[in-house]
Amino acid sequence: MTVKFDFIKNSKKFYTISIVMIAVIILCSFIIPPQLDIQFRGGSMITYSYTGDIGMNSFAETADSLLNERVTVREVTDIATQTKTFIVSLPGTESLTSDQMASFTQGLQAAFPSNNLQSLQINNVDPAIGREFFLKTMVAVAVASILLILYIAARFSKIGGMSAGVLAVLALLFAATIAYGAFVILRIPVDNNFIAVILTILGYSINDTIVIYDRIRENKRLMGGKTPFAELVNASLNQSFRRSINTSLTSIMAMIIVSIVAYFYNVTSIQSFAIPMIFGLVAGTFSSLCITGPLWVRWQEHKLRQKAA
Amino acid sequence: MKKVGKPVFFVLALLIVAFTVTSFTGIKTRYGDTINTFIKGADDIRWGIDIRGGVDVTFSPPAGYAATESEMSAAESIIKVRMISQNITDYEIYTDMANNRIIVRFPWKADEAAFNPEQAIKELGETALLTFREGLEADDFGFPTGVTADVVILEGRDIKSASRVDVPRTQGGMADMPAVSLELTPEGAVKFSEATGRLVGQVISIWMDDALLSAPVVNTQITDGNAIIQGNFTGEEAKDLADKINAGALPFKLHTENYNTISPTLGEGAREAMVLAGLLAFIFIVVFMICTYRLLGFIAAIALAGQAGLMIAAITGYFAPFPSFTLTLPGIAGIILSIGMGVDANVISSERIKEEIRSGKTIDGALDIGYKRAFTAIFDGNITVIIIAIILMGAFGPPGSAFSRLLYPVFFMFPAVPAGTIYSFGYTLLVGVIANFIMGVLATQFMAKSIAKQKTFRKAWFFGGEKA
Repeated sequence: MTVKFDFIKNSKKFYTISIVMIAVIILCSFIIPPQLDIQFRGGSMITYSYTGDIGMNSFAETADSLLNERVTVREVTDIATQTKTFIVSLPGTESLTSDQMASFTQGLQAAFPSNNLQSLQINNVDPAIGREFFLKTMVAVAVASILLILYIAARFSKIGGMSAGVLAVLALLFAATIAYGAFVILRIPVDNNFIAVILTILGYSINDTIVIYDRIRENKRLMGGKTPFAELVNASLNQSFRRSINTSLTSIMAMIIVSIVAYFYNVTSIQSFAIPMIFGLVAGTFSSLCITGPLWVRWQEHKLRQKAA
Repeated sequence: MKKVGKPVFFVLALLIVAFTVTSFTGIKTRYGDTINTFIKGADDIRWGIDIRGGVDVTFSPPAGYAATESEMSAAESIIKVRMISQNITDYEIYTDMANNRIIVRFPWKADEAAFNPEQAIKELGETALLTFREGLEADDFGFPTGVTADVVILEGRDIKSASRVDVPRTQGGMADMPAVSLELTPEGAVKFSEATGRLVGQVISIWMDDALLSAPVVNTQITDGNAIIQGNFTGEEAKDLADKINAGALPFKLHTENYNTISPTLGEGAREAMVLAGLLAFIFIVVFMICTYRLLGFIAAIALAGQAGLMIAAITGYFAPFPSFTLTLPGIAGIILSIGMGVDANVISSERIKEEIRSGKTIDGALDIGYKRAFTAIFDGNITVIIIAIILMGAFGPPGSAFSRLLYPVFFMFPAVPAGTIYSFGYTLLVGVIANFIMGVLATQFMAKSIAKQKTFRKAWFFGGEKA
C-alpha cells in the first residue's frame, strides 16, 4: 500500500517552510537569546513549600531584608499534589555559601513560624563551575557530531556517494536546529537536558534517512538505471512513507505522553527534555522525507547536466 | 535462520514473559525477618538523588589555595567520617585531584522528616576538629564523656603530619606491619610528652568531631614528637587513619557555593509521574502495534516487554551478586524513549513483510526478505545511538568510570561534572539499544518464523495481507 504524493513537485514548498523555520529560530535566538539554566550560568534558586497562607509580598519583603537585596519570588502550586511553593531566585548569577543559605532558611522559618516552611529544592551553582560545565557539554556535542558525521559519511558513500552523505548530515542539522528552536521559542532554559536532546536527535534521526536511501538504492536496481531520478525517489519516498510515519509516531507519542504527565505533576526537569525531543523527532521525520530526497534528486540531475554539457 | 521449529515461539514467548515479570518483581524468599534475594526486582533499584531526595555538593579549597594531593585526600576523609557518623552509608564521593574538587552525593536520610539539607552541607564543609583525648569513656551514643570529654591532649593544629609506614615485626621472618607515623609540632611534642609520661599502659583515644577513630595504648613516654601508632592495621586502614589525622591538621576549610538539594516528596512525585507516563506509553505502543500489524504487532509487544525487562534487569543487576545502577529521572525518560525507538525495528520489518505479502510473496518468503532487508537500516540507526550514549556517559559520568576514562583524551581539560543525572540517561539509552538487538531484532524474528509454522496462523491476514 503506497501513498500517492509527489514529493519532488512539492519540494519547493518544503524548502520554503524549512528555510522560514530556520530563519525564525536564528532570528529569535538573536533577539531573545535562549536563557541558560542556573546549572550553566551559576546563581541560586530555592523552592520553599509551606502550609496555610503567606502573602507573596510579605514573603518577598522578608526574603529581601534577610539577604539585603532584591530577590525574585514566584508562587507555584503543584497541580497534582496541591503543594504550595515559593520559588526564590537571587539576582544575576549570585550564589550563597552554605552558611548564608542555612541562616537564610532559618530566618524565613522564624519569620513564618506557623507555616511549616521547608526547602524542597535548592539549586545553588558557582558561576565558574557552571561555565566549565557548559563548555564541557558543548565539547561533547561537537565531538559527537564529528563522530556521527564520519560514521554516516562512511556508510553513505557506499549507498549514495558523497551527495547522500552531505544531505543526510544536512537533514540531521535541520532536526537538531528545530529541537534547539524549542528551547528558544518556548523559553525553556538550556540545561543539561539540552545536550541529551540534541545528541539523541542526531543519533536517532539518521535512522529514517538510512531506510529511505536504502530503498532508493534497491529501487534503482528494480526499476533499471534509465528511470528518471525524480520518479525513482518519488516511488521510494511513497513506499517508505507509512513506515517512516509509524516509526516516528511511536517515539513521538511516547514523548507526548511523558510531557503531558510531567506537566500535570509539575516535573519541570522532564518537560525540558520531552518537549524539545518532540520538536526534534517531528523535524527529523519531515527532513528525511521532504528535504533529503528531493535535494538528492536536484544534486543528481545537476551532475547529469554537467556531464552532458 | 531458515529452519525455526514450531515450538520455538511458545518457548521464547514464555521465557521472555517470565524474565520480564521477574525483572520487575524479583525473586525473594523470606524466613522471619531475613530476606534472601535471588533475583533483584524493581524494588531494589537504586534511585538517583533527584528521585529519592538528597544533596549534591561540590567542595573545593578556598579560592587561590593550591591544595596538595595529600591535603585533598585528607579533606575527602573528613567527609567520609562525617557521613558515617551521620549514619549515611550510601553516599558517593569523587575527588578530582587535578582540579581540586570533591563531589559528594548523598540521599536524604530515610527516617528523618525534618532533615535540614542546608545545615548538613554546612557541617560537612566545616574544619574537622581532631582531638587526642585521655582514656576511652563514651556514652551510649559513642560520644566522649567523663575524663575523655574533659581532657584534650592534642588538637589538629598540634600535628604536623601523619603518614602510613611499615614497621618491621619483632619476631623474625614475617612481613612488615603497616602502621601510622605521627609527627608533632614543637608545642604538640611538649604536650604529648607530658601526657604519654603520665599515661603509660593506658589509652589515648583519637577523635574526629565526635567520632572515635582509634584508641591506641601508650607503650612508653614519647618525648621527641615522633610517634608510631600500631594496631592490626591493613595497609589500607593505616593510610585511612593517617588521612583522617591529617584532616585535623588541614589548614583550610572546605568551601562550597555549588550544591543542589531536593526533597524526597518532590522526587517521589516525579518518579510516580514518570512510571505512569512509561506505562501509558507502553500501552499506547502495544495497542498501536497490534492494530496496525496484527500478529506481527503482537509479537512486537512481547519483544518490547522483553526489552523493558532487559533494561530493568541491567539497572537492578538482576542476579543478586551483580551491582545495580543508579536510576535518575532522565534515566527513566531514556527507558521510555528507548521503547518508543526500539519498536522501530518491528515497524520497519513488519511494514516490509506486509508489502511483500501484498505483492504476492508467500508468508515464509515475505518473512525472510522482510527481516533481511530491515536489518541494515536498524543496525545503522542503532550504531549511531550507541555512539551518542557512550559520549553522554563519558562526558557526564563520575571520574574513573569506564567511559569517562575512555574519553579522557577528549575531556581532559574539564573537571568532573557536578550533575550526574544525564549519566543515567546515557546508560539506559545504551542498554536499550543492546536490548533492542536481542529482543526487537533476534527474538522477534525467531518468534515470527516459528508461529508462521502453526496451521492456525498460516494466513496472510495475520501478517498484514488483505483478508482472504
